[in-house]
Amino acid sequence: MNNPIKIAVYSGVSPSTTFIERLIGGLAKKGLKVFIFGQQNHKKTSSENIFYFTYKNKLSKSLFLIKYCFLLSLYKGKEKKRLDKIILSKKRNSKLLKVKYYPVLYHCPDIFHMQWAKSIEDWMWVQEFGMKLILSLRGTHVTISPIADERWKIKYSEYFHEIDGFHAVSKSMLSISELYGVEFSKMNIVKSGLDLRRLPFNSKTKKSGLVRIISIGRNHWVKGYTYALKCMKFLKEKGIDFHYTIVGVDTNEELLYQRSQFGLKNEVSFIDKMSFEEVLKKISMSNVLLLPSVEEGIANVVLEAMALGTLVVSTDCGGMDEVLTNNENGFIVPIRDAEAMAEALHTVSDLSLENYNKITKAARAFIEKQHSHKKMIQEMNELYKQVINK
Amino acid sequence: MRIGLVLPKVPAYSETFFLNKIKGLEKHGHSVVVFVNSSEKRQNSSFKVKVAPKLYGNKLKVGIVSISKLLYAFLFHFKGSFRLFKLLRKDGMSFLQSIKNIISNVHILSETLDWLHFGFGTMALNKEYVAKAIGAKMAVSFRGFDIGMYPLKNPNCYAKLWENVDKIHVISNDIEELVYKNGFNGKASIVKITPAIDTTFFKKRAQQVTTVPTNFITIARLHWKKGLVYTLEALAILKKEGIPFHYTLIGDGTEMERLKFAAYQLGISNQITFSGKIPHESIKDKLQNSDVYLQYSIQEGFCNAVLEAQAMGLLCIVSDAEGLSENIIDKETGWVVPSCNPRLLANKIKEVIRLEESEKKSVSLNAQKRVKEHFNLEKQQLEFVNFYI
Repeated sequence: MNNPIKIAVYSGVSPSTTFIERLIGGLAKKGLKVFIFGQQNHKKTSSENIFYFTYKNKLSKSLFLIKYCFLLSLYKGKEKKRLDKIILSKKRNSKLLKVKYYPVLYHCPDIFHMQWAKSIEDWMWVQEFGMKLILSLRGTHVTISPIADERWKIKYSEYFHEIDGFHAVSKSMLSISELYGVEFSKMNIVKSGLDLRRLPFNSKTKKSGLVRIISIGRNHWVKGYTYALKCMKFLKEKGIDFHYTIVGVDTNEELLYQRSQFGLKNEVSFIDKMSFEEVLKKISMSNVLLLPSVEEGIANVVLEAMALGTLVVSTDCGGMDEVLTNNENGFIVPIRDAEAMAEALHTVSDLSLENYNKITKAARAFIEKQHSHKKMIQEMNELYKQVINK
Repeated sequence: MRIGLVLPKVPAYSETFFLNKIKGLEKHGHSVVVFVNSSEKRQNSSFKVKVAPKLYGNKLKVGIVSISKLLYAFLFHFKGSFRLFKLLRKDGMSFLQSIKNIISNVHILSETLDWLHFGFGTMALNKEYVAKAIGAKMAVSFRGFDIGMYPLKNPNCYAKLWENVDKIHVISNDIEELVYKNGFNGKASIVKITPAIDTTFFKKRAQQVTTVPTNFITIARLHWKKGLVYTLEALAILKKEGIPFHYTLIGDGTEMERLKFAAYQLGISNQITFSGKIPHESIKDKLQNSDVYLQYSIQEGFCNAVLEAQAMGLLCIVSDAEGLSENIIDKETGWVVPSCNPRLLANKIKEVIRLEESEKKSVSLNAQKRVKEHFNLEKQQLEFVNFYI
């Protein structure tokens, strides 16, 4: 194909998560035309291949709707009528759907790449207008929702087999999706890629007495912080000198209560969300990154810590065992097991500087090989080509 | 006497605690005014209900309400309003904040009361001087979350309350301890009045006792403080050890997703029924069909559901969170297990279901007797009448 592929990377909002933004930037650099639709919350990234068709407030939504109503009536009258029928059949707020749908129909990308599974029902229509539909399998939308709520399971089973291609961040995600009837041939693993220039590796130069442990993640039960707190209680009982910081959970009542119950006020701090740069700095300054989650795809924060040279202790959830090999490039413990977690942290605190750096170097090498930004963009591009040429 | 009760909303039919208290006070010739924040529809009640002014939403509306309420307060209830203003200013509150405080308390300032009783500690925040302003005595109830959790997020939030309160009501000894831990100066007296249940309704029906109890049940709001994830983890241990059981969890709440996922991940989905919320009347049937009641809370004021389960003759296994260890006397009327430790809970369940029939029966009978004698509504009514003397 001579013309560059036009691809909509859709997450509903812009800017999206760090990972999705990185994907957008990488694709644009590669020469693909990237279309962004949805709600614009903050500043746009300016790049010659990124095109924003986004709206902000109520007024801009109305103007946006008028504009695309006019453009579609003028240039794509027939298609507009067909889409209007589809919108009508959805029996939902049709004005809102028009604001979301019209620009997509007008700009008609070759591929509509949905980032979150729960919006699947909203976007099946794009296939009727020649666009290919790709879904990224990531997050609790795939790992938790269909298990805890039958409605999602039914929806996924109904729609998944019609989708043109899937992108999963780990093998574990693929095996979950098989439950909903996804054909194996449509599934592709594209692992998260990191911009390694921004993540310089730092060997630790001296062994400090205090073990600095850090966890980073949103304020959600899936992150398993209650197990981490219990683990810290065991560490304290073992007489280990440590400090544990959780970034992103400032005022979680459950954690506040358990911290007080376990007598960990001096040993555990909770910090509100911070910028990506600050997070990287915090990770670099810590001795251990702890991932106590009960479920994950592959946690990006683990990849980042591995790149930076901070040792990782993680639960064996989701795809984490595709990244970590116990005692080689990190430590991996069973889920929901605070004692095992404490045992691993104890082992880490006893490591000699030499052994510590041996493990973190192995981790860095793994990331360079498996999770480079270049590799991710390359593989994603291949996935797009494959779907278009089907 | 005329007693004002400050609550978040008008007590619903199922909230026996407040309704029974009001009934008891009225029976003894007192009148009750209930002050609430939300103006939801309510059933016909014997008591007067006064709703706090709505000071949120449309700014224009809030402005109009504020001015009219302020005028009303100073024109018709000048004495109380001015006294409150003076007390607040003396305490160091700014002029504007003092005026705002008067506006938000206007529904109370307009009443003449002997006692102003705050149903939860948190209800008294920013209202610490209102009782004094209207010449009433101030009482506060502490029930669990308000003293166990709220001060963790808001340290020293009750400093002004301790200075002004005349009598404190707690529902258990542990809560009393927490009151002291949170800076209470001992100036006022503390009275313990435990919750109570309708022991004529929750009564064991004669039935064949199952030899191996396998039906476990919990009735709880699906909230983290109920320790339900730990409960599921304990059940997963039992399953691994080949012990047959079925667990019914009655209740709804924000933790549904977390619990369903935990059940799935722990491989016990088939052994669990998530019943959701069910009518109060059907709860009795569910209890009737169960053998063991589990209440493995992380934080718990006292827990009426455990009283109801005991009254129905179930074998109760609970955590040692706050009031629970008073609700159940370990090994006499049930079993108390240290909280947050699924292994200990699993062991205790095993131990209980393997007990001799006679031992199980004796604990069950003890529990029924104790609840009937100590946690009945009549006793609670009397205690509350005495509270205000």
